[in-house]
Amino acid sequence: MSAGGVSGGRGGRPARPSGEAFWWAVFSAGGVMAALFVPAFVIVTGFLLPSGDAAVAAERSAQFAAAAGWWPVKLVLLGVVSLSLFHCGHRIRHTLMDLGMRGASGLLKLPCYGGALAGSVWLGWVLWGI
Amino acid sequence: MSGQYHRPHRWAWFLERPGYMRFMVRELTSFFVGGYLVVFLITLARLGGGEAAFAEWVAALASPGWMAAHIVALVAAVWHAVTWFAAVPQAMPIYLGEERLPAPIAAIVMGYGPWLTVTAVIVWWVLR
Amino acid sequence: MPAQDTMTLEIFRYHPETDSEPRFQSFEVPYNEDWVVLDAMNWIKDHVDGSLTHRWSCRMGVCGSCGMMVNGEPKLTCAAFLKDYYPFSIKVEPLVNFAVERDLVVSLDGFMEKLQAVKPYIVRDDVNDTSGGEYMQTPAQLAQYKQYSMCINCMLCYAACPVAGHEDEFLGPAALALGHRYNKDSRDQGQSERLDVMLMGEAIWGCTFVGECTEVCPKHVDPAGAIQQAKAGAAQEYFKRFVAPKGAGA
Repeated sequence: MSAGGVSGGRGGRPARPSGEAFWWAVFSAGGVMAALFVPAFVIVTGFLLPSGDAAVAAERSAQFAAAAGWWPVKLVLLGVVSLSLFHCGHRIRHTLMDLGMRGASGLLKLPCYGGALAGSVWLGWVLWGI
Repeated sequence: MSGQYHRPHRWAWFLERPGYMRFMVRELTSFFVGGYLVVFLITLARLGGGEAAFAEWVAALASPGWMAAHIVALVAAVWHAVTWFAAVPQAMPIYLGEERLPAPIAAIVMGYGPWLTVTAVIVWWVLR
Repeated sequence: MPAQDTMTLEIFRYHPETDSEPRFQSFEVPYNEDWVVLDAMNWIKDHVDGSLTHRWSCRMGVCGSCGMMVNGEPKLTCAAFLKDYYPFSIKVEPLVNFAVERDLVVSLDGFMEKLQAVKPYIVRDDVNDTSGGEYMQTPAQLAQYKQYSMCINCMLCYAACPVAGHEDEFLGPAALALGHRYNKDSRDQGQSERLDVMLMGEAIWGCTFVGECTEVCPKHVDPAGAIQQAKAGAAQEYFKRFVAPKGAGA
């Protein structure tokens, strides 16, 4: 262990307040959302909608469509899914860093947070059209 | 100081302790949860594409491959929730005067209780 | 009298003036049920090889000097009983994630600098003014940080932390837990100064909550929990400074 963290940053750069505080806050909020909502989402779209006969599937699909078309549900979906996406992006980025990609910690932000942002924008556009 | 010995870098450090492996499994849930969220986004997009497009998509999801993928996603999502609720009492202690709320109670109040409520409401909504 | 039972200790040896690489040396030590690994090390130094170099002081889990890897596990050797390993051999190595000075002695330089960086003492503006008497504190206020004040700086948590091994900017479990301990102390006014340091680079954010620091802590400090709480405090401060930059207001 060297003392790089106290007097200076990686590679001799002076360390500076990083945006990590912001990403960590979003990660935490997203972690709560993913824990509370995603298992139920998987149960619904992975098992309840595609099982049973066609009539049952149609009935459940109609319920699902009605729910997703109601604006309070849309708002909840937008918040829950986009925060969960950022949660995953942040955790994937830090997992890759822990696995040895520390040197690319800045570069990894692009796919990880950019992907989450793209997914959130797409979701907003999709929900607008439902 | 010269003469110090530095151990070589251990790239496979995560295999060295059971706790590291449990950590890695917890972190890897994010890959599967993230993958599922993309599928969920596609599901909502198909819903926006009209009734026929949605019915076609839902029929495709009934295939064994998609079922298996969703079983994996469910296990990952549940494991994420379980490990998250285990961490909440550690990360957000609640003090009642001098006493700290015991971890199992804090996990139920801040984790399992809301989780079961949310899951029950969503499932009931689709099944009613 | 029956022959004395013995046990084998395989000890990491490294003398920088003669060794370019570390080596392991086996020692046969008498087996006593009430001996700890440290007793066996001291027996070797006194009776077999006086050049064996290791740190120790109190022999009772208070000083935090005798931390080593015992069969790959970070342990206080004064609390690792031979009987828990008997009859198998015991491998003793210096704490991982630290540079080795000699045999089982590791370099403390980086750790000391990180510890100092979080100002692990009460910071107050009125430190020279004693006219107000003692700084009063209620038992409920004490409970907020008491657990985190039990740290003996034994550094086992650094040996258990993969991030401490890979990320130089990371301040590490003990230093962050101690910083949090003072931030939570109702008598302290130094939170902002500590967060200046904690908010830098990977100083605190390098932690991914592996949690093994808490598992190996001999004093049940729970550094992992302390760090997550400290992160929440640091994030709050980050947003506060974003809205009202430090030095801009009154």
